[in-house]
Amino acid sequence: MTDIEQLLSNLDARPPQDLERTTLITAGAADQVTTADSPFGPLWISWSPIGVTAVSPLFACSSMDEFMATHRRSAYRAERLPTDLATQIEEALEHGTTPDFPVDLRGIAEFQSAVLETCSRIEIGTVRSYGWIADQLANPGAVRAVGTALGHNPIPLLIPCHRVVRSDGSIGNYAFGPDMKHDLLVSEGALLA
Amino acid sequence: MDTMTIPRKTDVRDTLVSDLDDGFTVLVRTYQPGIYSGALRLTRSREDAQEVAQDTFLRAYTALGKYDDERIRNLQIRPWLWTIAVNLCRTRAKRARPTRPLPPDEILGGEPDEHFDDSAWSRRLGALSNPQRTAVILRHVADLPVNEIAEITGRPVGTTKTDISRGLAQLRTIVHEEETT
Repeated sequence: MTDIEQLLSNLDARPPQDLERTTLITAGAADQVTTADSPFGPLWISWSPIGVTAVSPLFACSSMDEFMATHRRSAYRAERLPTDLATQIEEALEHGTTPDFPVDLRGIAEFQSAVLETCSRIEIGTVRSYGWIADQLANPGAVRAVGTALGHNPIPLLIPCHRVVRSDGSIGNYAFGPDMKHDLLVSEGALLA
Repeated sequence: MDTMTIPRKTDVRDTLVSDLDDGFTVLVRTYQPGIYSGALRLTRSREDAQEVAQDTFLRAYTALGKYDDERIRNLQIRPWLWTIAVNLCRTRAKRARPTRPLPPDEILGGEPDEHFDDSAWSRRLGALSNPQRTAVILRHVADLPVNEIAEITGRPVGTTKTDISRGLAQLRTIVHEEETT
Protein backbone atom coordinates (compact mmCIF):
# COMPACT_ATOMS: atom_id res chain seq x y z
CA MET A 1 0.00 0.00 0.00
CA THR A 2 1.38 3.39 -0.98
CA ASP A 3 1.41 6.40 1.33
CA ILE A 4 -1.55 7.95 -0.47
CA GLU A 5 -3.54 4.74 -0.16
CA GLN A 6 -2.72 4.59 3.56
CA LEU A 7 -3.86 8.17 4.01
CA LEU A 8 -7.12 7.42 2.21
CA SER A 9 -7.78 4.37 4.37
CA ASN A 10 -7.44 6.62 7.42
CA LEU A 11 -10.44 8.61 6.19
CA ASP A 12 -12.69 5.85 7.53
CA ALA A 13 -15.30 7.50 9.78
CA ARG A 14 -17.63 6.29 12.47
CA PRO A 15 -21.34 7.02 12.00
CA PRO A 16 -23.29 8.92 14.67
CA GLN A 17 -24.24 6.65 17.56
CA ASP A 18 -27.99 6.84 16.99
CA LEU A 19 -27.91 6.16 13.24
CA GLU A 20 -28.37 2.39 13.59
CA ARG A 21 -31.21 2.83 16.08
CA THR A 22 -32.96 5.46 13.96
CA THR A 23 -32.65 3.34 10.84
CA LEU A 24 -34.02 0.16 12.43
CA ILE A 25 -36.92 1.99 14.08
CA THR A 26 -37.81 4.04 11.00
CA ALA A 27 -37.77 0.95 8.80
CA GLY A 28 -39.99 -0.90 11.26
CA ALA A 29 -37.43 -3.65 11.86
CA ALA A 30 -37.19 -2.78 15.54
CA ASP A 31 -39.83 -1.53 17.91
CA GLN A 32 -39.73 1.01 20.67
CA VAL A 33 -40.89 -0.09 24.09
CA THR A 34 -41.87 1.68 27.26
CA THR A 35 -44.07 1.27 30.31
CA ALA A 36 -47.31 3.16 30.81
CA ASP A 37 -49.94 3.30 33.52
CA SER A 38 -53.39 1.97 32.73
CA PRO A 39 -56.62 1.25 34.59
CA PHE A 40 -55.36 -2.35 34.76
CA GLY A 41 -52.00 -1.48 36.25
CA PRO A 42 -48.70 -0.68 34.54
CA LEU A 43 -48.20 -2.14 31.09
CA TRP A 44 -45.32 -2.87 28.77
CA ILE A 45 -46.21 -1.39 25.38
CA SER A 46 -44.17 -1.72 22.20
CA TRP A 47 -44.86 -0.03 18.92
CA SER A 48 -43.58 0.40 15.37
CA PRO A 49 -44.25 3.20 12.86
CA ILE A 50 -47.39 1.22 11.90
CA GLY A 51 -48.88 0.84 15.37
CA VAL A 52 -48.85 -1.09 18.62
CA THR A 53 -47.00 -4.40 18.31
CA ALA A 54 -47.34 -5.87 21.78
CA VAL A 55 -48.81 -5.24 25.22
CA SER A 56 -48.38 -7.02 28.51
CA PRO A 57 -49.05 -6.24 32.14
CA LEU A 58 -45.81 -5.70 34.04
CA PHE A 59 -46.69 -8.49 36.45
CA ALA A 60 -46.60 -10.97 33.56
CA CYS A 61 -43.16 -9.90 32.29
CA SER A 62 -40.56 -8.82 34.79
CA SER A 63 -38.21 -7.20 32.29
CA MET A 64 -38.23 -5.55 28.90
CA ASP A 65 -36.09 -8.37 27.51
CA GLU A 66 -38.60 -10.95 28.70
CA PHE A 67 -41.45 -8.92 27.23
CA MET A 68 -39.82 -8.55 23.85
CA ALA A 69 -38.53 -12.15 23.78
CA THR A 70 -42.10 -13.31 24.28
CA HIS A 71 -43.05 -11.48 21.13
CA ARG A 72 -39.86 -12.25 19.20
CA ARG A 73 -39.25 -8.63 18.37
CA SER A 74 -36.13 -6.56 18.92
CA ALA A 75 -36.68 -3.18 20.49
CA TYR A 76 -35.13 -0.07 21.88
CA ARG A 77 -36.24 1.42 25.16
CA ALA A 78 -38.08 4.73 24.83
CA GLU A 79 -38.78 7.29 27.52
CA ARG A 80 -42.48 7.45 26.79
CA LEU A 81 -45.15 6.79 24.19
CA PRO A 82 -45.59 9.33 21.40
CA THR A 83 -48.33 11.74 22.47
CA ASP A 84 -50.82 10.75 19.75
CA LEU A 85 -50.42 7.05 20.41
CA ALA A 86 -50.67 7.56 24.19
CA THR A 87 -54.01 9.35 23.69
CA GLN A 88 -55.30 6.63 21.39
CA ILE A 89 -54.31 3.89 23.83
CA GLU A 90 -55.84 5.72 26.77
CA GLU A 91 -59.13 6.13 24.91
CA ALA A 92 -59.07 2.53 23.69
CA LEU A 93 -58.50 1.16 27.20
CA GLU A 94 -61.35 3.29 28.53
CA HIS A 95 -63.90 3.05 25.71
CA GLY A 96 -62.76 0.13 23.57
CA THR A 97 -60.78 0.13 20.35
CA THR A 98 -62.11 1.65 17.16
CA PRO A 99 -61.52 0.28 13.65
CA ASP A 100 -58.81 2.85 13.02
CA PHE A 101 -56.82 1.99 16.15
CA PRO A 102 -53.26 1.43 14.91
CA VAL A 103 -51.95 -2.08 15.46
CA ASP A 104 -49.05 -3.75 13.70
CA LEU A 105 -49.77 -7.44 13.10
CA ARG A 106 -46.96 -8.04 10.60
CA GLY A 107 -45.34 -11.42 11.03
CA ILE A 108 -48.48 -12.99 12.45
CA ALA A 109 -49.96 -15.93 10.56
CA GLU A 110 -52.91 -15.13 8.32
CA PHE A 111 -55.44 -17.13 10.34
CA GLN A 112 -54.40 -15.64 13.67
CA SER A 113 -54.43 -12.17 12.18
CA ALA A 114 -57.99 -12.74 10.92
CA VAL A 115 -59.04 -13.99 14.37
CA LEU A 116 -57.54 -10.93 16.04
CA GLU A 117 -59.13 -8.54 13.57
CA THR A 118 -62.53 -10.17 14.17
CA CYS A 119 -62.00 -10.06 17.91
CA SER A 120 -61.17 -6.36 17.76
CA ARG A 121 -64.73 -5.73 16.51
CA ILE A 122 -66.30 -7.01 19.75
CA GLU A 123 -67.59 -3.90 21.45
CA ILE A 124 -66.94 -3.00 25.04
CA GLY A 125 -69.62 -4.31 27.40
CA THR A 126 -70.34 -7.36 25.24
CA VAL A 127 -68.97 -10.88 24.97
CA ARG A 128 -68.82 -13.35 22.12
CA SER A 129 -68.02 -17.03 21.95
CA TYR A 130 -65.05 -18.73 20.30
CA GLY A 131 -67.59 -20.29 17.95
CA TRP A 132 -68.90 -16.86 16.96
CA ILE A 133 -65.43 -15.88 15.76
CA ALA A 134 -65.07 -19.16 13.87
CA ASP A 135 -68.45 -18.50 12.23
CA GLN A 136 -67.41 -14.97 11.31
CA LEU A 137 -64.41 -16.46 9.54
CA ALA A 138 -66.68 -18.91 7.71
CA ASN A 139 -64.78 -21.69 9.41
CA PRO A 140 -67.14 -23.08 12.06
CA GLY A 141 -64.94 -26.09 12.72
CA ALA A 142 -62.03 -23.95 13.83
CA VAL A 143 -63.22 -23.22 17.37
CA ARG A 144 -60.15 -24.73 19.02
CA ALA A 145 -57.82 -22.93 16.59
CA VAL A 146 -59.59 -19.67 17.43
CA GLY A 147 -58.86 -20.33 21.11
CA THR A 148 -55.20 -20.96 20.34
CA ALA A 149 -54.96 -17.81 18.22
CA LEU A 150 -56.50 -15.69 20.97
CA GLY A 151 -54.25 -17.33 23.55
CA HIS A 152 -51.29 -15.91 21.61
CA ASN A 153 -52.78 -12.45 21.17
CA PRO A 154 -49.74 -10.13 21.30
CA ILE A 155 -51.89 -7.08 22.04
CA PRO A 156 -54.26 -8.12 24.85
CA LEU A 157 -56.54 -5.48 26.39
CA LEU A 158 -56.40 -3.45 23.17
CA ILE A 159 -57.40 -6.41 21.03
CA PRO A 160 -60.02 -7.57 23.53
CA CYS A 161 -59.57 -11.33 23.63
CA HIS A 162 -60.96 -11.17 27.20
CA ARG A 163 -64.38 -10.55 25.59
CA VAL A 164 -64.38 -14.04 24.10
CA VAL A 165 -65.94 -16.65 26.37
CA ARG A 166 -67.12 -20.24 26.07
CA SER A 167 -70.40 -20.95 24.34
CA ASP A 168 -71.88 -22.19 27.63
CA GLY A 169 -71.25 -18.76 29.13
CA SER A 170 -68.35 -19.83 31.33
CA ILE A 171 -65.44 -17.47 31.27
CA GLY A 172 -62.80 -19.67 29.65
CA ASN A 173 -59.03 -19.27 29.66
CA TYR A 174 -57.01 -16.07 29.72
CA ALA A 175 -53.29 -15.49 29.41
CA PHE A 176 -53.22 -13.50 32.66
CA GLY A 177 -55.61 -15.78 34.55
CA PRO A 178 -59.40 -16.17 34.69
CA ASP A 179 -59.67 -13.76 37.64
CA MET A 180 -58.28 -10.90 35.58
CA LYS A 181 -60.58 -11.82 32.68
CA HIS A 182 -63.53 -11.79 35.07
CA ASP A 183 -62.52 -8.43 36.54
CA LEU A 184 -62.08 -6.92 33.08
CA LEU A 185 -65.53 -8.04 31.96
CA VAL A 186 -67.07 -6.72 35.18
CA SER A 187 -65.32 -3.38 34.76
CA GLU A 188 -66.66 -3.17 31.20
CA GLY A 189 -70.21 -3.98 32.32
CA ALA A 190 -70.34 -7.28 30.46
CA LEU A 191 -70.67 -9.30 33.67
CA LEU A 192 -72.23 -8.69 37.03
CA ALA A 193 -69.67 -8.49 39.81
CA MET B 1 -27.51 -1.70 24.12
CA ASP B 2 -31.23 -2.13 24.48
CA THR B 3 -31.74 -4.61 21.71
CA MET B 4 -32.20 -8.32 21.91
CA THR B 5 -29.34 -10.47 20.83
CA ILE B 6 -29.69 -11.41 17.21
CA PRO B 7 -28.66 -14.98 16.48
CA ARG B 8 -25.53 -15.13 14.33
CA LYS B 9 -25.67 -17.15 11.16
CA THR B 10 -23.05 -17.77 8.56
CA ASP B 11 -24.80 -15.87 5.78
CA VAL B 12 -26.93 -12.81 6.30
CA ARG B 13 -29.10 -13.90 3.36
CA ASP B 14 -30.20 -16.99 5.29
CA THR B 15 -31.18 -14.78 8.19
CA LEU B 16 -33.06 -12.42 5.86
CA VAL B 17 -35.03 -15.32 4.44
CA SER B 18 -35.89 -16.81 7.83
CA ASP B 19 -36.63 -13.47 9.53
CA LEU B 20 -36.53 -10.22 7.60
CA ASP B 21 -36.22 -8.02 10.68
CA ASP B 22 -33.42 -10.05 12.27
CA GLY B 23 -31.59 -10.20 8.94
CA PHE B 24 -32.06 -6.51 8.34
CA THR B 25 -30.63 -5.74 11.77
CA VAL B 26 -27.53 -7.76 10.89
CA LEU B 27 -27.37 -5.96 7.54
CA VAL B 28 -27.45 -2.52 9.16
CA ARG B 29 -24.87 -3.42 11.79
CA THR B 30 -22.55 -4.96 9.21
CA TYR B 31 -22.74 -2.49 6.35
CA GLN B 32 -24.04 0.86 7.56
CA PRO B 33 -20.78 2.09 9.14
CA GLY B 34 -18.89 1.54 5.87
CA ILE B 35 -21.58 3.15 3.78
CA TYR B 36 -21.68 6.16 6.09
CA SER B 37 -17.92 6.45 5.86
CA GLY B 38 -17.88 6.30 2.06
CA ALA B 39 -20.90 8.58 1.73
CA LEU B 40 -19.21 11.15 3.95
CA ARG B 41 -16.36 11.40 1.43
CA LEU B 42 -18.62 11.22 -1.61
CA THR B 43 -21.01 13.92 -0.40
CA ARG B 44 -18.53 15.88 1.75
CA SER B 45 -21.37 16.58 4.17
CA ARG B 46 -22.14 14.81 7.43
CA GLU B 47 -25.85 15.61 7.08
CA ASP B 48 -25.99 14.15 3.58
CA ALA B 49 -23.93 11.13 4.63
CA GLN B 50 -26.37 10.39 7.45
CA GLU B 51 -29.32 10.69 5.09
CA VAL B 52 -27.66 8.48 2.50
CA ALA B 53 -26.66 5.89 5.11
CA GLN B 54 -30.22 5.78 6.43
CA ASP B 55 -32.13 6.02 3.14
CA THR B 56 -30.00 3.26 1.61
CA PHE B 57 -31.22 0.83 4.24
CA LEU B 58 -34.82 2.05 4.25
CA ARG B 59 -34.96 1.42 0.50
CA ALA B 60 -33.26 -1.94 0.96
CA TYR B 61 -35.78 -2.94 3.65
CA THR B 62 -38.71 -2.02 1.41
CA ALA B 63 -37.20 -3.94 -1.49
CA LEU B 64 -36.37 -7.00 0.60
CA GLY B 65 -39.96 -7.13 1.80
CA LYS B 66 -41.04 -7.58 -1.83
CA TYR B 67 -38.36 -10.06 -2.90
CA ASP B 68 -39.01 -13.80 -2.82
CA ASP B 69 -36.64 -16.17 -1.01
CA GLU B 70 -34.72 -17.15 -4.14
CA ARG B 71 -34.04 -13.56 -5.11
CA ILE B 72 -32.75 -12.79 -1.61
CA ARG B 73 -30.51 -15.85 -1.64
CA ASN B 74 -29.01 -14.73 -4.96
CA LEU B 75 -28.43 -11.13 -3.87
CA GLN B 76 -24.88 -9.85 -3.83
CA ILE B 77 -25.57 -7.88 -0.70
CA ARG B 78 -22.64 -5.46 -0.51
CA PRO B 79 -22.62 -4.21 -4.12
CA TRP B 80 -26.42 -4.07 -4.06
CA LEU B 81 -26.40 -1.78 -1.01
CA TRP B 82 -23.56 0.31 -2.38
CA THR B 83 -25.36 0.75 -5.71
CA ILE B 84 -28.30 2.25 -3.82
CA ALA B 85 -25.95 4.43 -1.77
CA VAL B 86 -23.93 5.74 -4.72
CA ASN B 87 -27.12 6.59 -6.60
CA LEU B 88 -28.39 8.51 -3.58
CA CYS B 89 -25.08 10.39 -3.40
CA ARG B 90 -25.38 11.26 -7.09
CA THR B 91 -28.92 12.53 -6.57
CA ARG B 92 -27.72 14.79 -3.79
CA ALA B 93 -24.83 16.05 -5.88
CA LYS B 94 -27.30 17.13 -8.57
CA ARG B 95 -29.09 19.38 -6.10
CA ALA B 96 -26.24 21.86 -6.58
CA ARG B 97 -25.85 22.30 -2.86
CA PRO B 98 -22.48 23.90 -2.27
CA THR B 99 -20.24 21.46 -0.46
CA ARG B 100 -18.24 22.58 2.49
CA PRO B 101 -15.06 21.15 3.95
CA LEU B 102 -15.69 18.95 6.95
CA PRO B 103 -14.69 20.79 10.11
CA PRO B 104 -12.16 19.17 12.43
CA ASP B 105 -14.82 17.82 14.82
CA GLU B 106 -16.13 15.69 12.00
CA ILE B 107 -12.82 13.96 11.64
CA LEU B 108 -13.65 10.58 13.01
CA GLY B 109 -12.24 7.12 13.11
CA GLY B 110 -9.39 7.24 15.55
CA GLU B 111 -6.91 9.58 17.07
CA PRO B 112 -6.28 12.84 15.27
CA ASP B 113 -3.38 12.45 12.91
CA GLU B 114 -0.99 15.25 12.12
CA HIS B 115 -1.13 14.17 8.48
CA PHE B 116 -4.90 14.21 8.57
CA ASP B 117 -6.30 17.49 7.30
CA ASP B 118 -9.94 16.89 6.50
CA SER B 119 -10.69 20.10 4.66
CA ALA B 120 -7.60 19.37 2.59
CA TRP B 121 -8.95 15.94 1.71
CA SER B 122 -12.28 17.41 0.67
CA ARG B 123 -10.41 19.74 -1.64
CA ARG B 124 -8.08 17.05 -2.99
CA LEU B 125 -10.86 14.57 -3.69
CA GLY B 126 -12.94 17.39 -5.13
CA ALA B 127 -10.24 17.96 -7.72
CA LEU B 128 -10.83 14.53 -9.24
CA SER B 129 -13.39 13.79 -11.92
CA ASN B 130 -16.60 12.23 -10.60
CA PRO B 131 -15.78 8.70 -11.85
CA GLN B 132 -12.25 8.88 -10.44
CA ARG B 133 -13.38 10.27 -7.09
CA THR B 134 -16.11 7.64 -6.73
CA ALA B 135 -13.79 4.80 -7.70
CA VAL B 136 -10.97 5.95 -5.42
CA ILE B 137 -13.29 6.42 -2.44
CA LEU B 138 -14.99 3.07 -2.95
CA ARG B 139 -11.64 1.32 -3.35
CA HIS B 140 -9.52 2.97 -0.68
CA VAL B 141 -11.95 4.45 1.87
CA ALA B 142 -14.74 1.85 1.67
CA ASP B 143 -12.26 -0.94 0.87
CA LEU B 144 -14.35 -2.52 -1.90
CA PRO B 145 -12.80 -4.82 -4.53
CA VAL B 146 -12.50 -3.49 -8.08
CA ASN B 147 -15.06 -5.88 -9.57
CA GLU B 148 -17.71 -4.70 -7.10
CA ILE B 149 -16.88 -1.06 -7.81
CA ALA B 150 -17.33 -1.74 -11.52
CA GLU B 151 -20.72 -3.33 -10.80
CA ILE B 152 -21.78 -0.43 -8.57
CA THR B 153 -20.74 2.32 -10.96
CA GLY B 154 -21.76 0.49 -14.13
CA ARG B 155 -18.31 0.94 -15.68
CA PRO B 156 -16.11 -1.84 -17.08
CA VAL B 157 -13.52 -3.37 -14.74
CA GLY B 158 -10.62 -2.10 -16.87
CA THR B 159 -12.02 1.44 -16.89
CA THR B 160 -12.54 1.25 -13.15
CA LYS B 161 -8.90 0.24 -12.62
CA THR B 162 -7.86 3.18 -14.78
CA ASP B 163 -10.13 5.53 -12.81
CA ILE B 164 -8.50 4.39 -9.58
CA SER B 165 -4.90 4.56 -10.77
CA ARG B 166 -5.33 7.95 -12.44
CA GLY B 167 -7.20 9.27 -9.41
CA LEU B 168 -4.42 8.10 -7.09
CA ALA B 169 -1.78 9.58 -9.39
CA GLN B 170 -3.56 12.93 -9.35
CA LEU B 171 -3.87 12.83 -5.57
CA ARG B 172 -0.14 12.12 -5.26
CA THR B 173 0.61 15.07 -7.47
CA ILE B 174 -1.68 17.33 -5.43
CA VAL B 175 -0.14 16.21 -2.12
CA HIS B 176 3.38 16.57 -3.54
CA GLU B 177 2.63 20.11 -4.74
CA GLU B 178 1.23 20.98 -1.31
CA GLU B 179 4.41 19.73 0.36
CA THR B 180 6.71 21.64 -1.96
CA THR B 181 4.91 24.99 -1.79
